[in-house]
Amino acid sequence: MARMKFICDAERCIECNGCVTACKNEHEVPWGVNRRRLVTVNDGKEGERSISVACMHCTDAPCMAVCPVDCFYKTDEGIVLHDKDLCIGCGYCYYACPFGAPQFPQAGAFGLRGKMDKCTYCSGGPEENGSAEEFRKYGRNRLAEGKLPACAEMCSTKALLAGDAEVLTTIYKTRVVTRGKGDEIWGWAMAYGGSGMLADQPGGKA
Amino acid sequence: MNKLTASAAAFVAAVAFAGCTEVAQEPGKGYAGKEDAKPYASDEFKGDKAKWESALAMRSQRMNDYNRVPNEKK
Repeated sequence: MARMKFICDAERCIECNGCVTACKNEHEVPWGVNRRRLVTVNDGKEGERSISVACMHCTDAPCMAVCPVDCFYKTDEGIVLHDKDLCIGCGYCYYACPFGAPQFPQAGAFGLRGKMDKCTYCSGGPEENGSAEEFRKYGRNRLAEGKLPACAEMCSTKALLAGDAEVLTTIYKTRVVTRGKGDEIWGWAMAYGGSGMLADQPGGKA
Repeated sequence: MNKLTASAAAFVAAVAFAGCTEVAQEPGKGYAGKEDAKPYASDEFKGDKAKWESALAMRSQRMNDYNRVPNEKK
């Protein structure tokens, strides 16, 4: 059984925002709602790294656990989706999500909060596949067309990968092995730059 | 007097240990919304899950640029 996941290679991401644009364009996401966004650490400094973040479709999703109206479900492929007809826009999922994935369209002078919107892994929602209603509420259903999420397919440097976890692991392994890097590909120094020594990290003891 | 002390101690112990009880933390009732159609139920795949999975796996491999561009260094 496929288990769909995203992975973003911080070594390759060039902060072009192509994934963000592809997502907004593909699903005609309204102004103010960003299903995907870029996070940059050490901006403008040596060791700058960027990573593309959206819903990570968690295996044990906290949004599902806290939803008071149980509008979340997980597909057989491990994609976390929700029913907008049930959502009451309470925002609990926003507080629970460690990635800030849930988005709320705002309208009106008093910041009226609409129903939650988030990355659907380009697989629509609980409406007829490919229907106008599905597109209006959840965006395009590319998965039903045999395609992968637009953000990953649009990524120019192939930093953002999407697909079955097993396939992604194979691709990423090939990449790391070809780069010729060993253990240093992981950890603090790779993520934030600087020294990889524990003593040099914030709060680290010599 | 001893009986009274013993019963008081038992009562205090019962109250104190009640704090150690595991509080039930069952998840919610489960999904309460509409059923979603399977992605491979579309006209293109006609319910053939294996065909859909292989189409996606092939598509994923297109993201592997080491397959697309021959690496002379290897």
